[in-house]
Amino acid sequence: MTHLLRRLGIPAALAVAALAPMDVASGQAPATPKTGMVCTPQNAGGSTYDLWASGGYMQTPDGNSVYMWSYQDAAGDASFQTPGPVLCVTEGQTVSITLHNALPEASSIVFPGQDTEVAATGGTPGLLTTEAASNGTATYTFVAGKPGTYLYESGSDVSKQIEMGLYGALIVRPSAHQSWAYNSSSTAFDPSREYLLLLAEIDPDLHHAVEVASNPNAPAYDFTAVHNRYFTINGRSFPDTIQDNDSVLLPSQPYGSLVRIQPNTPGNTQPALIRMINAGVDNHPFHPHGNHTREIAQDGRLLVAPGGATASTEHFAETIGAGQTMDYLLRWDTQSTDSSGQPYNDYWDPNSNPLPVAQPNYRNLTFKDAHTWYSGNPYLGYKGTMPSGTSSLNICGEWYFPLHSHALNEFSNFDQGFGGMGTLLRVDPAGGCFAAATATKILSGTLNAGSYANLAIDDGKLYKVNSTTTGATRVADWYGQFGGLPAGATNLAITYKGSNSSSASQTVYLWDWTTSSWTQLSGPTSVGTADVTVTPSVISLPANYIGTGTKHGMVRIRVRNSKASTSFVTRGNLMKIVYDAP
Amino acid sequence: MHGSTRREFLKATGVGVAGTVAAGGLLRAVDASLLGPEARAATTTLALAATDGYITMPGREDNPIYVFGFIPVSPSLTVSQLTSTYKGHAQHTAPTLNLKQNDNIKITLTNLGLVQRPDLTDSHTIHWHGFDIPTPLNDGVPEVSVAVPIGQKVTYFYRPHREGTYMYHCHFEDVEHVQMGMTGIVFVRPLQDDNAALKNLGLARSTPNNVAYAGFAYNDGDGSTGYDRHFAILLNEIWAAGYHDGDRDIQESVPTDYDPEWFTLNGRAYPQTVLPNDDGFTTSGLTTANANEGSDDKSQPNSALIQVNPGDRVLLRLANLGYQQHSMELPGLQLHVVGQDASLLRDGANDTSYWTNTLYLGPGEARDVLFDAPAYDGSMPSGSDGRGNYNVYQFKNRDWRKLSNNGAAGPGGMMTEVRVYQTPLPAQTVVSQTYA
Repeated sequence: MTHLLRRLGIPAALAVAALAPMDVASGQAPATPKTGMVCTPQNAGGSTYDLWASGGYMQTPDGNSVYMWSYQDAAGDASFQTPGPVLCVTEGQTVSITLHNALPEASSIVFPGQDTEVAATGGTPGLLTTEAASNGTATYTFVAGKPGTYLYESGSDVSKQIEMGLYGALIVRPSAHQSWAYNSSSTAFDPSREYLLLLAEIDPDLHHAVEVASNPNAPAYDFTAVHNRYFTINGRSFPDTIQDNDSVLLPSQPYGSLVRIQPNTPGNTQPALIRMINAGVDNHPFHPHGNHTREIAQDGRLLVAPGGATASTEHFAETIGAGQTMDYLLRWDTQSTDSSGQPYNDYWDPNSNPLPVAQPNYRNLTFKDAHTWYSGNPYLGYKGTMPSGTSSLNICGEWYFPLHSHALNEFSNFDQGFGGMGTLLRVDPAGGCFAAATATKILSGTLNAGSYANLAIDDGKLYKVNSTTTGATRVADWYGQFGGLPAGATNLAITYKGSNSSSASQTVYLWDWTTSSWTQLSGPTSVGTADVTVTPSVISLPANYIGTGTKHGMVRIRVRNSKASTSFVTRGNLMKIVYDAP
Repeated sequence: MHGSTRREFLKATGVGVAGTVAAGGLLRAVDASLLGPEARAATTTLALAATDGYITMPGREDNPIYVFGFIPVSPSLTVSQLTSTYKGHAQHTAPTLNLKQNDNIKITLTNLGLVQRPDLTDSHTIHWHGFDIPTPLNDGVPEVSVAVPIGQKVTYFYRPHREGTYMYHCHFEDVEHVQMGMTGIVFVRPLQDDNAALKNLGLARSTPNNVAYAGFAYNDGDGSTGYDRHFAILLNEIWAAGYHDGDRDIQESVPTDYDPEWFTLNGRAYPQTVLPNDDGFTTSGLTTANANEGSDDKSQPNSALIQVNPGDRVLLRLANLGYQQHSMELPGLQLHVVGQDASLLRDGANDTSYWTNTLYLGPGEARDVLFDAPAYDGSMPSGSDGRGNYNVYQFKNRDWRKLSNNGAAGPGGMMTEVRVYQTPLPAQTVVSQTYA
């Protein structure tokens, strides 16, 4: 597995800005994004791949490990991964894949749903396609057909090899539009929110039979006795599914399936794309909580009516048949119109639009196993106080909803529920996580009125500081201190809004904890009696500005106003940070 | 059942709405479209209690099946009043909730605890399955929001903007609690139900069905989802040897061993499915001896019988909260699928509804299906009941293994009857109404 070389299948600059903030100037390759579909790098020089079929182990959340066969994109045990690498190609490209078979029996790859003939070289003819003998190779070449989501899988000894895990995803992108799923503008999606959910089942007894097959006392491999105990998304069972891509906890299961979205806004109108593949042999009824999803395509074909009009359908559960693929768009609209055309606003906000039912007293309720992803507050972007003894995994008031098989016997890890074929949908606050100052400190001048609490909302309630009253230059200089920003937060967007009782020169700074000095963000600008909003450039990698150790999570934003000869009062209305949580 | 308090179950309040209360249904006296956007929203207050109890499956009349369930109760009763009245008397399936689009819906859930298993201190939740929910607090998933422990109550809030058929269930240890019986249908009537002009499109039909539609499945804008009668039917399975007997006898069950023996419609297996409702209108006669309480409980109150008049346009509101995909047929009658998962089958102006005679319904999926009842034919196989002669059409699972009760020779299981009467029935006043 070539973790460091994995890249997004979308333009690199966009990927860096949206998902993988790294210092590109340093020459380092962008790291694998934590969430989202990860395309496997093509070989240098074009759309060719080398895949190795071999054996290795995957881990289940109940502590079991299961022997698997899979495809991997480099030789050797350390590169074992399940499921196979995600192959992303463009329609019309000639794709060539060389299979190196490290399995004890002949193996192959087939590409269901491709339009053109697959030409195979090397190897020997098999039932469905040319096969690579054990320790042999075969090369498959085809012209990538219509855009869409496809499966690739073994075409040899399928009752064993597919059960054992020889499958993966093949993504064909439109040649003209990398951020459309199909050649239709109705399938445009946000390229930073492209997800793959590949479903499969595992019978550990069958896998054990293969694992110990060389033992003379090995049990027979009887696929008619299949009894699935583990149900996976991208080769993991819940809750492992929500771990990051390339999590070190799951060395052979590189693909997470946490789906992260933000509410759509006028400036963020594109939906997320969720590509689903059922690589198993059972049908799986997949149920998204939180919102309907819109099915736009099946088996690599856009859903259209006979006349060509789109015929997408909306679902809160949809059965995906064995071997099928389905593509869904997912939006999160906070304000919309209902099916009769009536506008509504269910963007509940504690200040402007509170829920009509008071929050329950959380001390009287249960949080499963005393830990929860719930924030302790029903409103997006807000956190509350949890009862003592209950720990919250919530970062900044984001929301979580399960996405899972509603054959609930599959939403299990062998004998334990709330596992198996499930993942979470994470809805982040629009723009990112919100933070308000939790303290202020005056560097020059004196307190006039108010406190840090007046800075949280743009409501005309002010935090006021008197300037110094002597000397040629009068200064009102203070900072707001933020707490609780998580390590690894990115894309810090700072907003300060305020005014002065008479015009003064304003400079805004940010404290750099590594150099113990202030970094100037904006100014000097003249700020008079009307509120001026300052929004410095987004800081994509703010690690130096987020405290560690005893200053863990602290950020300081300094506002310095100065003026010749005349005393004044500076008036802060709003100081906030919006950031992407890790 | 506990009639005096059950009648209070659906208690309508709100601006300018004079609610008329009937078991399982809500009749409105005010045309909501006359009110402004905010005032238009009425508030519907409901209450459910969660506890355990017993039901009867054919072939196990002498050995009732242990269940968990939701009971409709009065919102005005205290926890202790609810406990003394209802604890140990669960029903399956849960009451069908009939709600109106854009209303404010408040549903209070009280956890009464378990009589059979006082050692099992499970919490419960309500998960409105399929609801586009603008806060996880009301989603009822205890790992990402809250659950209700024994002796406590919580009020969930919903404002449904999407009409159609949904389902609801407990999401606490869902693989167990859903199978144990905490399942029901909730549906949302469209605003278009207030549109007299569209309803009157029904008048253009031929005699004797030249009457206005009773309502619509969706805001279709053209009357294409109008119906005369509607029936809410929940498909389910009962794995008695697993969770039901296991929970009764303090034994662990392994979810991946799931292997149900009974296949049900509204918590009944044929021939129970054709018995009438236990409500203010009819009595099923189906009771279960509750050994813990010394009572005979009407714990399966929801009939799956479909009683219609010739020519009626009938809406089936179907949902599946079993763990298996089911293939349903109504031989002799074509099914017009107009909605799924609380979505009108239409993409823009493009009609995506379809006709079928074999309807697949996966776990967690819902369908809104129309069919037209044929004329009464005295020469066809028929039966008679207190309402006179009728023709029978069987609404049944295509998979004959699911027409068996615990392996016994059929017919049993997931089957019910559409009865088309010679002598007209009165108009339906509540969903799934049965007539004795």
